Amino acid sequence: MLPRFDLYEPKTIAEACALKKEHNGRILAGGTDVVIDMHGGKEFPVIIDIKGIEELETITEDENTITFGALTRHRTIEESVFFKKYYSALWDGCSQVGSVQIRHRGTLGGNICNAVPSADSIGPLQVFDAVCTVASPEGDREVALKDFFIGPKKTILGPDEILKSITIQKLKARSGSCYIKYGRRKAMDLALCGISCMIELDENDTIVKSRWSLTTAAPTSIRNYPPEEYLTGRNIKDVDLDELGKLAVKDAKPRSSWRSSAEFRIALLDEMAKRAYQNALSRALEAKTAPPLMSEETGFNVF
Amino acid sequence: MDRKTINVTINGEQYIRNVEVYMTLAEFLREEIGLTGTKIGCNEGECGGCTVIFNGRPVNSCIVLVNEIDGGDVLTIEGMSQDELHPIQEAFLEVGAVQCGFCTPGMVMSAKAILDQNHHPSEAYIRKNMEGNICRCTGYVRIMKGIILAAERMYGKAE
Repeated sequence: MLPRFDLYEPKTIAEACALKKEHNGRILAGGTDVVIDMHGGKEFPVIIDIKGIEELETITEDENTITFGALTRHRTIEESVFFKKYYSALWDGCSQVGSVQIRHRGTLGGNICNAVPSADSIGPLQVFDAVCTVASPEGDREVALKDFFIGPKKTILGPDEILKSITIQKLKARSGSCYIKYGRRKAMDLALCGISCMIELDENDTIVKSRWSLTTAAPTSIRNYPPEEYLTGRNIKDVDLDELGKLAVKDAKPRSSWRSSAEFRIALLDEMAKRAYQNALSRALEAKTAPPLMSEETGFNVF
Repeated sequence: MDRKTINVTINGEQYIRNVEVYMTLAEFLREEIGLTGTKIGCNEGECGGCTVIFNGRPVNSCIVLVNEIDGGDVLTIEGMSQDELHPIQEAFLEVGAVQCGFCTPGMVMSAKAILDQNHHPSEAYIRKNMEGNICRCTGYVRIMKGIILAAERMYGKAE
């Protein structure tokens, strides 16, 4: 048996916000962090299970953006041919969370709100300029994902706020992205470190837009600006990979822990940056047109 | 609330129970319903021993809270066979995919989830999709063989 708690099952976002404020309750999504904490003896006097709120599960799109409800499961992304082909970094991240069973349960919103530096879906979302929509009784507000964290396991969410959805920018033609995770095993392991990148090319192979982020390289997932500045405006012929690797770790401040020393993490990231860039580049060169509408390309992914 | 009435279908049978909410699906199956085929290994979502199929998805039943299964559908190892063993179970026996047997119920349920979704899985696909099930006897090679054999028996060889 788990430590005792009082359970609420709100059916609307407003109800969930009110309950969170009234009871200082712990929000429960997929449970892959919260229930495990409870098994470890952690007590949450009030649990608010938001899985009954249907609007949190939908994925919608418009001309320029795709919006994931906070309860979007990692496995939903993993099974989608669309995300594998066009938003590869996100697919790379979501398909490497925990195990199949965990990915069927764990949600994007839960991964973000749990706010650990090793979260596999946060870095990839950041390279698509993700913006979080936060709901409260006063209405919704938008916060860039890069500004969502104030420390390990700490977010900007107020006592009556919950994360409602995450919106990413659609890619243009000649764009590609990649997330590389380094773990000691291929499954059920946290990222020792991880790196995400996205690049967009013009017709002359000049990089017109670049986004990078780092996983487990700082107290939170962070945007990584030095490689962005180096690549933007540069022709792919003039990219020096050694220089890129050095710049990619310039802002990294990993710590030494029992998993790995900081020096090893830096050495890994230097190399992973080169590989992530090359992967993203080859994907960008293949992407002759902009991604279609999500509804136009569906299918089960057999990898 | 600290209690909830759960109306759930398990292995095709309906059960109604009023239970304390601080209980996991694994505990509900084993202690309330008496279906002890589902094994609790690590009890923290790592080992896959407690894998069951919940609303069509393989999940670690040790980290699913009981309130969520109300109105749902659960398949456990006990529901895999009636009079005869399921082809996955037959194949596991035939190739010797069982050593101590503790992980086997979870392995069979994950294998079922794979074959439900993909009738002709590649070896790489099976490896990736069995990643959440750990066998500490390390009998993975024969488990792989068992799943491939079951797939061939159930759906024929891939073209």
